[in-house]
Amino acid sequence: MAIVDLVREGMAAGWRHLDGAAWLKSDDNARELEADVIIVGTGAGGGVAAEILTAAGLSVILVEKGPLRSSSDFDLEERTAYPNLYQQAASMKTADKAIGIFQGRAVGGSTTVNWTTSIRTPPNTLDYWQSAFNVKGLSEKELEPWFEQMEKRLQISEWSFDPNRNNAMLKKGCEQLGWDYTVIKRNVLGCWNTGYCGMGCPVNAKQSMLVTTIPAALERGATLLSRFEAVKIEHQGDNISGIRVRARDESLRTSEKELLLKGRHYILSGGAIHTPVLMLRSMLADPHQLLGKRTFLHPTVLSGALFDEAINGHSGAPQSIYSDEFVWRDGAAGALGYKLEVPPIHPVLIASKTLGFGKSHAELMANFNQLQVVIALVRDGFHPDSPGGTVSLDGKGFTLDYPLTASFWLAARRAFASMAELQFAAGARKVLPISDGMGYLNSWDEAKAAIDNMALAPLKTVVASAHVMGGCPMGEDKTKAMVDSFGNSHYFENLSVMDGSIFPTSLGANPQLSIYGITARNATALAARLASLPKTEPKSESATEPKTE
Amino acid sequence: MERRTFLFGALGTTAALALGVSLYRPELAVEEANDEEHRLLLKVLLPVLLDGALPEMASPRDLSINRTLNAISATLKVLPQGQREELFTLLDLLENRLGLLLLTGSMTPLLLRSHAELEFMLNDWRERSIELFQLAYLGLRELILASYYSCPEHWVSLNYAKPELPGITDKR
Repeated sequence: MAIVDLVREGMAAGWRHLDGAAWLKSDDNARELEADVIIVGTGAGGGVAAEILTAAGLSVILVEKGPLRSSSDFDLEERTAYPNLYQQAASMKTADKAIGIFQGRAVGGSTTVNWTTSIRTPPNTLDYWQSAFNVKGLSEKELEPWFEQMEKRLQISEWSFDPNRNNAMLKKGCEQLGWDYTVIKRNVLGCWNTGYCGMGCPVNAKQSMLVTTIPAALERGATLLSRFEAVKIEHQGDNISGIRVRARDESLRTSEKELLLKGRHYILSGGAIHTPVLMLRSMLADPHQLLGKRTFLHPTVLSGALFDEAINGHSGAPQSIYSDEFVWRDGAAGALGYKLEVPPIHPVLIASKTLGFGKSHAELMANFNQLQVVIALVRDGFHPDSPGGTVSLDGKGFTLDYPLTASFWLAARRAFASMAELQFAAGARKVLPISDGMGYLNSWDEAKAAIDNMALAPLKTVVASAHVMGGCPMGEDKTKAMVDSFGNSHYFENLSVMDGSIFPTSLGANPQLSIYGITARNATALAARLASLPKTEPKSESATEPKTE
Repeated sequence: MERRTFLFGALGTTAALALGVSLYRPELAVEEANDEEHRLLLKVLLPVLLDGALPEMASPRDLSINRTLNAISATLKVLPQGQREELFTLLDLLENRLGLLLLTGSMTPLLLRSHAELEFMLNDWRERSIELFQLAYLGLRELILASYYSCPEHWVSLNYAKPELPGITDKR
């Protein structure tokens, strides 16, 4: 069955796309491009904003520092996916190397590589934002129509097929213990249930930005710049006058050759970390020193289990069940809660995120298809002892310093116990908490005692993150927020932020649907405002027209 | 203390990168030369880190080691510059007598050490409470294990294979 690569078809049909690497080799000396709105970033925020703004008749330029890759490029191999589609070839880590971070970096951003889990912002989180950060207009009821709109747009619905064995064990454990669990809603249409979402969907079933909102915007005349890095926001007073972007070569090295993008309005959607980094680098007003602070990760610990039966965790929808049994147990600002999910099980991911080397590691890998893994995502940013991390500039780029606090380790220990209890209840023969010094545990009683006494520490305990949030918080109180509750800058009249960086805390849920829904609301309001103002005709300084790759 | 700071500052290729294919152009000729020099060192460490995973028979074992070395080269090329430099620094230290003394307490070249001695060295780093050693251990571990398991040739023992999607994967 042939799959249509709609991105390649669109390019062939004349979508406006300028590839930085190709532009570098050309003799084109354009200096400036102009549109109504300049959007930096093409992930969940940038994609949704682009579609809504172009639908309102506004001209848009989208900028992405990663490459444009589409279904024909996705070969279901980690060795291809990680360098092509992830920030730092999937090797990004916190300053002390204690947390590995997976974040997308290609057209579509993280939506191109996420595992499709779509969860509305938890009401507890929205209530906390309102009470602690003076966020307005984002109650559960007020957001409902925006979530409904995006769920319809992105085909988000409950996964109606049986969960794969990895997820089934999560479900079985919850059933045995009487714990809460939920069947996950996914943004897929005609999913082949192969289990390779993290490497880019080869059949365009995943309704990522790459195959939905971005093509829609391009159809309406938007211009896409890929392999261009936004390096500086030009500003004067309370006005942004342009964003400088530099072309990147095939190795993704940033060149000196640059374009100045000019618009009536500018939207930053580079995601938590990179949006604050660009703002810091551009020395935007930040009188309360908020930028980059309170960056949240849902720091995640892992528990492996061996079953007698085949689990084949590489096969089938990667995530179809989650448990919120422990997320809110102690209240929003109480002890840190954690969400239980499972990850897909592929060789490089598992080889690197497990323990040891030599014979013990080989033995674990030999049981690859009997291995079941549960992950616990810790809800950070609510408790006073959970301030998150700080993004700051260094000589070469940026660092994210994220100290793992005592309250985190307390949650991690409880999470290891919950995961082991669940895995034994589901029928596991052995459980292996992924923290150095731990061996296989043969029963829940043994596990309980061992986990009570296990040593937990940075670099010894494997901690990972696939959810980056915060660093440019929203709210009406300028001492706590960089942007208002619509994502508009408190300091610049023509600047907005539309991505996960505006979250004042983590979510306690996978973030994509929160970004979609809140961006839909904010971009719609922005479109209405801009549509009432004089329009800009897209133009470039030279005769250069963005060309297809 | 520049060297120490350097290692403290990074050294962590997350594993998730291991790429047996070269998708991007090599950056600098000098790094190519370094890469060649480091192959000898890595060739000594691979059998220890991959003990139990590498084939037992000599010929397939050599093939597997060479395949992994190529994958490591490809991995190093796509790493961000800072991380690549950190790993090269570690490898340089392990080829340097003073560096060896700092990291292992002995100037004996790794090439002259036994399998058991190298295993002891890695476990010693792993169990230390000082970050420098933990980062050295994790840097090597992740680079080598991830590179090994990135190669489809090494998936047979896992009973893992990517799905064949008619009309899709067979065209790539």
